[in-house]
Amino acid sequence: MREVLTVLSDMLRKGEITSQELTEKYISAVEEVNPQINAYVHTTFDFAREGAKKADEMLKAGNAGALCGIPMALKDNICSDGHLTTCCSKILRGFRPYYDSTVWSKLKSEGAVMLGKANMDEFAMGSTSESSCYGAPLNPRNTSHVTGGSSGGGAAAVCANIAAYSLGSDTGGSIRQPASYCGVVGLKPTYGAVSRYGLIAYGSSLDQIGPITNSVKDAALVFDAIRGVDENDDTSVDYNYGGPSANALTGDIKGLKIGVAEEYFDGINPEIKDAVMDAVKLYEKNGAEIINVRLPILKEAMPVYYIIACAEASSNLGRYDGIRYGYRADNYEDIDDMIYCTRSEGFGREVKHRIILGTYVLSSGYYDAYYKKACILRNNIIKRFDDIFNTCDVLIAPNAPTTAPKLGHHGASAVEMYLSDICTVPVNITGIPGISVPCGTDKAGLPIGMQILGKRFGENTILNAAYFYEKTAVSPVKEYEGGVRI
Amino acid sequence: MALSKEDFDKLAVLSRLRFSPEEAEEFRNEMDDIIAFADTINNAVSGGTDDIKNTSVNAVAYTALREDAVRESLPNEKILSNVDGSRGFFNVKRCVK
Repeated sequence: MREVLTVLSDMLRKGEITSQELTEKYISAVEEVNPQINAYVHTTFDFAREGAKKADEMLKAGNAGALCGIPMALKDNICSDGHLTTCCSKILRGFRPYYDSTVWSKLKSEGAVMLGKANMDEFAMGSTSESSCYGAPLNPRNTSHVTGGSSGGGAAAVCANIAAYSLGSDTGGSIRQPASYCGVVGLKPTYGAVSRYGLIAYGSSLDQIGPITNSVKDAALVFDAIRGVDENDDTSVDYNYGGPSANALTGDIKGLKIGVAEEYFDGINPEIKDAVMDAVKLYEKNGAEIINVRLPILKEAMPVYYIIACAEASSNLGRYDGIRYGYRADNYEDIDDMIYCTRSEGFGREVKHRIILGTYVLSSGYYDAYYKKACILRNNIIKRFDDIFNTCDVLIAPNAPTTAPKLGHHGASAVEMYLSDICTVPVNITGIPGISVPCGTDKAGLPIGMQILGKRFGENTILNAAYFYEKTAVSPVKEYEGGVRI
Repeated sequence: MALSKEDFDKLAVLSRLRFSPEEAEEFRNEMDDIIAFADTINNAVSGGTDDIKNTSVNAVAYTALREDAVRESLPNEKILSNVDGSRGFFNVKRCVK
């Protein structure tokens, strides 16, 4: 995979290209490619040009960070001061935040250049990005297939080379699964490693912001830039990684203890199972130790996840009343009626499902049987994963039961769609980090993704394991040929 | 457990959502499947009644509390920039007649 950020950073520092020239290249590419894939839902080209000018000054002054002057995309649920941020929902139509999220503030101060906001499932609730009020983004590998979700637009933009990297959010797999479907790299950091301030909330105990990139080293560089404790997010943690994660990439995996749980492979498409197991063999051949572990508790993760996520969503989405921001119904009789009309007209179907389920599991009489029980089981799942990481350094698993489905064919019912998240949700329930790296293609040429999971704050270990695979495996996925090619 | 029409109506009120009779019926049927899916946690071996009584629901440890000090607020005009805030308030249509 191409280390796009390292290459661009070198070119900018050596003066082979200016940030303003690079930004114009990306803007032209977005204008050409985006109409075919619908990856961006709002563009901020004037702001990008201003940012590029400042970045060139920083580069000239010699005080530029690794991401200075490089054009990128933010998911449409990450706030930036004055720019449309709508969660791809009618209810946030026209909303311009009045402050910067911490992640964007950090990147901006490093000289990052934002090209726009990327398409996603409405309020990040979905696995295909088809619930976006702007229509689904299309998979650049094959535009009759979905990008995955919910950070589908960001994964598509990176894959199609119309963003050098993007930031997504991952509540139940929303960075890793679209990265896998589009054949790029997605890192979901440890809960607390990256501030959530300015991320429009879905499930607050599960949400985490992370990078979608072309390579593992790129993911490490972006992670280094956005991580850290933040006084505006009291769940963020001051963890000492002992230096930049990008510097910890050696590719040495001798003696690495890799856990493989057969439960992760139940019901998985055989082509995906073979690709992931081939990768495991490659690790073994190069000196890693493979340990078979049992995870029968995995089947409990799905209902636990949906109960907790929907409970938190029903609470978080209570704020959309039509009074303070976003959409307000045109016709109403009184304040109560305004709130009912605004919410009923503004939210899409899947969001309403999740609000109703969340309200149900929190309501008197059902709270103990659903929400509290789910919290207990969550603790049990956390304990089981902790036990596994006492004997293994990482776990390797598939990313999804299938490759990218065709548009409109992703599960006949809501429950079928929920079940497709089986491989990714345990990471959010337990708060551990996970990275998705491409590990081949199916017969139709669609990318297959492999997940590498680690203990809390074990990003350096999973990044290094992924880096080894990226350097050692033979062309796991073909590069996309459009967009900005460096 | 199937969701009765009365229960669905109550949930809709709690959620501040309104459904036409046809929509409500369709949603209720879909919610039956979703609730049946949520019910599968009751097949879990662990997490019995005693656990429910004795366990805290806080899976996330909140340890970092900042000093309880007054900080600068966002300016009023910025907060009102997304709505009709012409008189310095969140304006809505007259509702007391």
